[in-house]
Parts: sequence; C-alpha cells; structure tokens
Amino acid sequence: MKKYFRELSVAGALGVLLIALAIFAPAFYQGQPLLSLLTATAPKLVVACGMALIIIGRQIDISVGSQFAVSGACGALLLGHGQPVAVALPAAMLAGALMGAFNGALIAGLGLPSIVVTLATMVSFREALRWKRQGELINIGAAQWFGLGQGHGQWTIIIVALAVLLAVGCAMRYLAAGRFIYAVGTDAEAARLAGINPRLVTFLNFVLIGALTGLAAMMAAVQSPLVDPNAGVGLELLVIAAVVVGGVSISGGRGNLFGVFVGLLLLSCISPALTYLGVEAYWEKAIQGTIILLAVVADGWRSRKNKN
Amino acid sequence: MSSSHKTGGTKALLRSHEFILFVVVVVEWIFFYFIGTSKNFSGHTVGFGTLDAQFDILRHSCEIGLLALVMTPIILTGGIDLSVGSVLGFAAIVFGKLWRDGHVPIPEAMLGALAVGACAGGLNAFLITWLRLPPLIVTLGTYSLFRGLAEAVTHGADTFTGFPDSFNFLGQERWLGMPAQLPVFVIVAIAVWLLVHRTTFGRSFRAIGYAPEGARYAGLPVERRIALVYVLAGVVAALAGIIYTARLGEAKADSGTGYELFAITAVVLGGTSIFGGSGSVHGTLLGVAAVAILKNGISLAHGPTEVADMLTGVLLILALTASIVPKILSKRPARVQTVPSTPQPSPTS
Amino acid sequence: MPADAAPLLALRHIAKSFAGVRALRGVDFDLQAGEVHALLGENGAGKSTLIKVITGAHQPDGGTIAINGQVVEKLSPALAHGLGIACIYQQPALFPDLTVAENIGLRLEPAKPLRRVAWAARQKRAAELLHRIGANISPTSEVRSLSMPEQQLVEIACALGSGARIVIMDEPTASLTQKEQHLLYAVVRDLRKAGVGVVYISHRLEEIFALADRVTVLRDGQSVGTNPVDSINEAQMIQMMVGREVSQIYPPSESAPGEVVLELKNVGCSASIVRDVTLQVRAGEVLGLAGLVGAGRTELGRVLFGLTPGDSGEILLNGEKITVTSPQEAVRHGIAYVPEDRRKHGVILEIPIAQNMTMAIHQRIFPGTWLRLGAEKKLALEYIRDLSIKAYGPEAPGGSLSGGNQQKVSLARWLATKPKLLILDEPTQGVDVGAKSEIHKIIRRLAKDGMAVIMISSDLPEVLGMSDRIGVMRGGTLAAILPGKSDAHTVMAAALGQKGAAA
Repeated sequence: MKKYFRELSVAGALGVLLIALAIFAPAFYQGQPLLSLLTATAPKLVVACGMALIIIGRQIDISVGSQFAVSGACGALLLGHGQPVAVALPAAMLAGALMGAFNGALIAGLGLPSIVVTLATMVSFREALRWKRQGELINIGAAQWFGLGQGHGQWTIIIVALAVLLAVGCAMRYLAAGRFIYAVGTDAEAARLAGINPRLVTFLNFVLIGALTGLAAMMAAVQSPLVDPNAGVGLELLVIAAVVVGGVSISGGRGNLFGVFVGLLLLSCISPALTYLGVEAYWEKAIQGTIILLAVVADGWRSRKNKN
Repeated sequence: MSSSHKTGGTKALLRSHEFILFVVVVVEWIFFYFIGTSKNFSGHTVGFGTLDAQFDILRHSCEIGLLALVMTPIILTGGIDLSVGSVLGFAAIVFGKLWRDGHVPIPEAMLGALAVGACAGGLNAFLITWLRLPPLIVTLGTYSLFRGLAEAVTHGADTFTGFPDSFNFLGQERWLGMPAQLPVFVIVAIAVWLLVHRTTFGRSFRAIGYAPEGARYAGLPVERRIALVYVLAGVVAALAGIIYTARLGEAKADSGTGYELFAITAVVLGGTSIFGGSGSVHGTLLGVAAVAILKNGISLAHGPTEVADMLTGVLLILALTASIVPKILSKRPARVQTVPSTPQPSPTS
Repeated sequence: MPADAAPLLALRHIAKSFAGVRALRGVDFDLQAGEVHALLGENGAGKSTLIKVITGAHQPDGGTIAINGQVVEKLSPALAHGLGIACIYQQPALFPDLTVAENIGLRLEPAKPLRRVAWAARQKRAAELLHRIGANISPTSEVRSLSMPEQQLVEIACALGSGARIVIMDEPTASLTQKEQHLLYAVVRDLRKAGVGVVYISHRLEEIFALADRVTVLRDGQSVGTNPVDSINEAQMIQMMVGREVSQIYPPSESAPGEVVLELKNVGCSASIVRDVTLQVRAGEVLGLAGLVGAGRTELGRVLFGLTPGDSGEILLNGEKITVTSPQEAVRHGIAYVPEDRRKHGVILEIPIAQNMTMAIHQRIFPGTWLRLGAEKKLALEYIRDLSIKAYGPEAPGGSLSGGNQQKVSLARWLATKPKLLILDEPTQGVDVGAKSEIHKIIRRLAKDGMAVIMISSDLPEVLGMSDRIGVMRGGTLAAILPGKSDAHTVMAAALGQKGAAA
C-alpha cells in the first residue's frame, strides 16, 4: 500500500473529481459526449505509455506533438489516396519510428541532452510539415473511423488504447527489456556494469515512442473526415504532465503505467469538467502548468524524505 | 573563453569559435543580400539590401537577443530556462492590462511588467535553488503556467491595442537614425557582457557550470548565484515583452511563443556549451545575428517562414553536433546524457 | 586446510603502477578453498589495488593470476564474474529505486532482453538467499529504504547466489551493529564450510583472530608476510604494518606553539559520524590527524569548514565562540580547508590556475565585483614563485598541471585567504616525491610564521615526521592525542583501537 501511495492518491483525486461532477454537473456523464471524450483521450494514452518509458529512462521528449502531426499526415495522405488501413497505419508508425530513431541517434549515439535535441526536432518536424502542407487539410473520406462507422470506430479506438496500455504495462513489469529501462534510468553506469547496454536501451526507447505516436496519430486522424496537419500542438506538455502527475519521477527509475493511466484521466477530465462546472476553458494551460509544478514538488519532497 | 590576453595571440583568435561564427554571419549576410535584394519597377532597391530591411532585422533581433543574452549565464551555470518566451508573453499582457484596464500610466505599467517578470523568475529560482528541483522540468512547468496565465487574463481572445504613439515609438520608430529599441538592447547587452566577463559573478557562473561541488568547496555562494540568473532572466524577458508590444503595437497572449528555441539556438550557436562552464556573451550576440539574419533573410527573399523556423531547428542540431565532435574525436565514449538534477551537497564527499 | 589441492586463487609477483606511482610491487597472494584469508595494511598499502586486480577491474603490469591452477590472461570483470569471483564493496552498487528481489535478479540473471521476468521465482530466490545468510530483509523492500549494512547483506546474497567460489569482502563490518556483525561472521563461516575461499579485509584485529585462517600484511605495495593467524600476535601484526626504514627526511619543526587558535568542545554533527570531538590547536603548531579510512577525519574537516555544519558542542576561534554554517562563513572566520579530492573539489580543471587561486577571495581582491586581471596575475605569479608551481603560466588550465602542482594551486587558493586555521586533507596523496618534499617545507614555513595547521594524512611516516602533536581519530571521535615524537606502532594501535604500546 505504502509503495503505491502516490498512484493511489492520484486515483483518489480522480475519484473526488468524478464525484464532484456527478453531483454538480451530471450532464458530464451523458452517453455520447462521454464516449467522445474517452475516444479523444485514447490516442493521448498511447503516447503517454511511450512517454512513461522515456521519462523512466531518465530522458525527455518534447517533440512528440510534432511527430504526431507528421506521422498523422503521412498516414492520412495514404488513406486519402485510397490505400487501405493495413498500409496506412504501419506507414504512420514507421514514420514515427524513423523520427524517433533520429532523436535516439543524437541522444544515445552522440550523448547530446534530450531536452535540446527534442526541442530542435520539435520545431524542425512541425515546420517542415507546415511548409509542405501549407495548412491544407487532408481528406480521408471513407476511411474515417477505419471504415467501421462511428459507434464501432469509437469503441475500437478505446480498446486499442487500453490494449496498448496493457501491453506496455505488462512489458514494463514482466519483460526483461522493460526492467532494463528502469535500471538505466536509475543508474546508467551500474546498468552497464550489470551487462545492460544503456545506449541501445535509450535509442530503442525513442524509436518506440515514435512508433506509438504514429499509432496514436492514426487513432486521432480517423476521428474526423478532414485531418489537420496542425494537430498535436501541446500534446507533449499534456502527456508529460500526465506521466509526472501519475507518479513517474523525472529523475528516472520509478513509476508505473497504472499511475500514468490515472494521471491522464485526471488531466483529461479537468478541461471538460471546467466547462461543465462553468469555468472558462482558457484556464486550462495555467492549471496544467500548476499541476506539473505541484507534481514535481511532491516528487522532490518524496525523494528528499527517502534520502534521510 | 579565457579573458587573459596572452593565449597564443592572433592565431588563436582566428581559430576561435567566435571568429568562425563571425565569418559565417558575414557570409550569411552577403548570401541573403544577393538573393534578397532586387530593384522594383520604379528602379528603387527593395528587399534585404535596404536600410529599412536591415533595421527590421535589428528590431526583431532585440527581443530574441534579450532572451538569448539572459539565457547565456543560465546555460553557463549548467541550467536551462524554457519559460522565457512565456514570461515575455505574460509580462506583455500584464503591461497591456495595467494600462488599458487599470488606467496605469505607461511608465508605471512598464515597471509593473518588470516586477511581474522578476516574480516569475523568482518562482523559477525558488523551485530550483530552495527545493532543489531540476531546472528542466521546473521551467517546463512554468513555461506552461505563465503562458496559461496570459491566456487566462486575456480570456484567450483579448488583445491590448491602442497604445499611445509615444510608446509605440519605442518599437517602431527611429531615434537618432537607428531603431528606437536598439539603445535599450545595447545597454542590456553591455550590462550582461560585463556581468559575465568582467565581474566575479561571471566567474561563479562558470565555476558552477564546470563543477557545482567544486564551486561550493571554494566557498562560492552557489544557490544565490543560480537564483540570480533566473530572476534576471525573468526581468529581461519582461523587458523583451514590453519592446515586443511596442513593435507590434499590441499585446497578445501568444506573444513570444517559440522564442525560447531561438534564444537557446543563438546561445549554443555562439559557442556556449550546453553542459555549462564555457561560452561567451559576444558569441551569443553573433548567434543572435545568425538566427535573425536567417529568419528575416528568408522572408525578404520571399521564402516561407516555415523554412526559416525549420532551418533554425536544423541549425541548433548542427551546432550541438559540432560542439560534441571534439569530445568524440578524443576517443571518450559518449555516455548517455540523462536529465540532470540540481547539484546537491553530498553528505560524504 | 587442504594443502595438496590447487589453490582457488594464486597471484604471483603482481605489479601495478599508476602514473608513475607504484601501487603494487610484486605481491604474492594465494587463497585456498574453504579458507578465510585476511588482508591487512594501512591506507595506501595497496589492498584496494590488489582487490581490483583480482576482480579484473585493473590489469596488472606484471605477474600472473591463476584460478584453480589455470593461469588467466587478461582478466576482465565479466570474466572474473564468470570464474566465480565476487566482491562485496563498502559502498554497495545497487539500484536504489528497485526492490531487493529485482536487484538480486538483475545481477544474477543473464542480460537477455527478450526474457520473461518471473517475479514469483525472483522473490523466492531472493527470500531463499536472504534467509541463508540470516538477513531479516523483505525481498519486496526498495533498496533505497535499506540501511547501509542491510544493503551490504543484499550484496552478499548476490555473491552467494552467483555461486561464487572466491568472495572478497572489503571491510564488511565497518558500519554494522554488534548483532549484525555476528550475523556476518556466521555467514563467513558458512561460506568457509561450503568450500568457498574468502579474502577478508579488515582493520579489526579481533575480527581477524576470530574469523581468519591466515593473514597477509601489505605495506607500501609489498607483502610483508603471510602467516597462519594462530602463529602471530597483535603486536607483531601492527609491527608488520608499520615497521619500515625511514627513507624520507622531513623538515624539522622550528616553531614554538603560541596561543590556542582553535578549540573544539564535544563537537558533533548528527548528519555525519563526527561525535564528541574535543581538541585544541595552537598557532604555529602542526596537528597531524591520523586514523583509518572512515574514522571521521575528513568529516571533521567538513564540519569545521561548514560543509556539514556541526550541531552539538562548541567551536571557539581565538577564544570566541563561533558557528560555521557554510563555507563562506568559515572563510570569513579565517578557516581554510584544502580538500582531499583535488580534481573534483580542490581545483577546477577547466579554468586557468590564476582564476583557481583567486576563487576564494573574490571579495578581497575584486572589490565591487569588478575583475582586476592585473592584480590576479600578480597574485598568481607570486604563488607560482613561492610554491614553486610548474606551469606554463598563470593562464594554464588546472588540468594541464601534474598532481603535485595541482595540489600547490589548491593550497595557494587557500593561503590567499590568509587563514588563521589551515586544514589540509591528504596534502601529498598521489604527489611525486619532489613535490611532496616541497609541500612539506611549505607547511613547516607556514607553521613557523604562526599559522595553526591541522594535517589530515593517511601516510603514517608523514604524520610522524611533520606533526608537533598527533590526534588519532576512530569511529568519528578522537581516540587519542599523542606527542609528535610517538612511534608508528603507538599511532596505529590507537587507530585500530588496540591497547598497549610497541612490543
């Protein structure tokens, strides 16, 4: 119990929020809008799974928003040209993986700090896409909802997100490679001495988050007939906030996906909750920033307590 | 760079990072002159080669330049500040709000904005030095917080305009033949240069960047120095916000979005090591020139702004890679750089 | 002891040098199966270098290593691990954020990424191993929450689990309680019964008598003798550790100690091991501070310098009670501390030595914070001349100097503060003979001019040759104050906590 205190307290906060909504704004729980909210959150959950791995590995990636836009555009273009989902989806994931590999090569290969590398790629990827598309939307027509119609499409997307959560969560717990990430994030040198290759682990981490972002981008793209190449702005901040709130420590080595799941739900519910409770939406970013800071302070408090 | 006069003289100067960058800037300028200048149908020169265009470049440089100037000591100490662009925007909004809705006269509104900048920097400083949290994630949080506060104050839509001409003069007109904001920039540039290169503060910054523990053992007030650079960043970012508002004639919530990238690029391009300790303010100024000429040169050559921004990102990567090549060539295995935390005193040395 | 089987480990004529300093000069050492072989020697005698050679972390410059009778070329850590060599260090290298079971798992399981992690089996194995050594630790606890001795026990469990036949223990009981020590002894005895060979490094002579079968004493990189434990007594062991030809001449003391500059009354620091230290240092006096590693000497220096401020007792400087809560405050009071780790704390390698020298006196030499390069250069040149520092100029970066000269720069930095009390922490460690002698002369000169000097040193001859009085620390407190003319045996005995003088 004590070990999962952080994750449970976030779950508690989520519970309080949900109860407050049930009392003050029961309209929140109406069928279709709630389903749409969950469907919109699903792609973010997929990216958050990847981000959790990155941060546990003691790195950071703020280029995911741009990768989201680029891989989404790639996949959407293929869909718009009549390619089947079986081609477009892997293509988007491949595009993401390649961008992740680029980041990984610079960070793991050259030893450059991840914050600055991903800051640069964040801008480069996005501006390259903007230049190419000039803001023009991409029409995917019949490929919307993977061709399944809205109802089935929404559930498919939610289930895919949960499946990814489960898969990554299990891998983090039961696959040796997953545990290697924890080891590298705690002490890369000790990991190396234990026979693990920290550079390879870091590189593959960035490739993985790229691929997951590609998947997420497709999941988001098919939710409307017109895909905006300007998508994903601010995604990295939301996902990092969710991960940090969910108990993943920014100094690496600790955290689990249950916390990330709860953290993301909490953050995703805040914005619509504000709407339903009558608070204006423009407070969202400020609240997000405050939550990040509070989570980091709590983190720092916890590790200082443990050191003594 | 060492401030000693005798490190090999002219030869070392010619091989120094700053000189090479200077040559690059000159070449860049010449390049954009040729592709960006032309004659319009009435025979007048238009484009890059005109005085107006050059002054515009200077105007744009001022804001990025201020942020880059104040980012330099932060990176020298081995830290980073991602929130400077957001503080710029927030201070601009506060300025606009004070003047328009608070009916505060312009000079006092400016002071109010600067005070807000100091508080913003103070928040960063507090979290980083007192609570010992990593600058990376702290400033990522404040990046979001201050931008968010700007959006909240303006209800996401409001724009403050209609400033008196006497104010807009600062951003749009000329004074003694040069852009009016230039003297402000020059004063700050000189002040920061002196701080970093001619005072004991600058020495402390470098020592902290090279060896945070070693600096403590030498009796340097590490926490106080680190706090200073973040508060300074807040104040100067607010100043940049005021100038930005004067240049555009309006204050919006998205003022200064993305400027932190330009600032960091200029600093790294200028030769300051992202790991701390080495670097120079004059290098940063050259970096600002490089970035500003690139941005404006492309737009004056009728190129798309996206290309300019994309190339800035590419430039940052190239600059980072170039800085790490000597380390690799000296055959040291590249260790994976993990998210650094603020230096803590170790209970056992 | 089976005398006919090939020894588990046989080292012959092992030599190892670092940057011109000979750490090991032809050491012979062997370990039989089912034996506990103690390794004894003062700081710097070569014990840790020898251990690193055995674990493959260092390649010897000369000599052979044979394991189970087979000579092994190029022993690497991975190879050593595979051959069944495990080492329990004083600072366990565990992953603090992971559980005990996972730490043991990561160590013992092969590093294949695509394996399924069987948590139940991991828990079971960890529980088994911990039970075998009688450790009362839950496999699900996070290593971060364990005390240092508990972490050591986890390391031992790892060694056990890896089926090591040669287990090296480096001062394993240094921070254990009585009860935990006995636990450990039982573990060591079990290992011996199982046929494992244990190399046991310890300063606790009673432990060596209780546990070991044989003991080898190292001194100045050489083996002075290997004897069965029941054929040697305590006094002989100490004599082997310290008895040596006096080859180095130390400058004679000319000072007549003056007023008491520093007085400590029951000074302690709850955050470190320093407790209840009472001593006095006079102007013009060199107080040598001897003791074994971990005795608290550096920690005392850190308390006096304000890095880890003391929270009990009183510190009086020139008769006035003072508090020292930060290095800046220490400097203001006139206390200077030349740190032990020259490269990390003493000198900043990337910046010029002139800047290093002025780093502690910014307020004085640069009033108003404006740099005065002329004054700085002048000061640097003065110290370069005074201390005979060999560098190509005041602008030479600290990293370009040899160890001895770096030490002089570190010293110059603190001399520039014109201190009343100068604390030197291992001033000649890793310094060549010539520079060592120069530094000694400098210390003498400072004392003659009236400075109070505390000299922390692990070099026993240096302590004996340079000190007017000798303070011996043990377990965080002052065990004895001896006159400067004491002999090595007495000092070492005090440091080890043994009663009695030379045999």
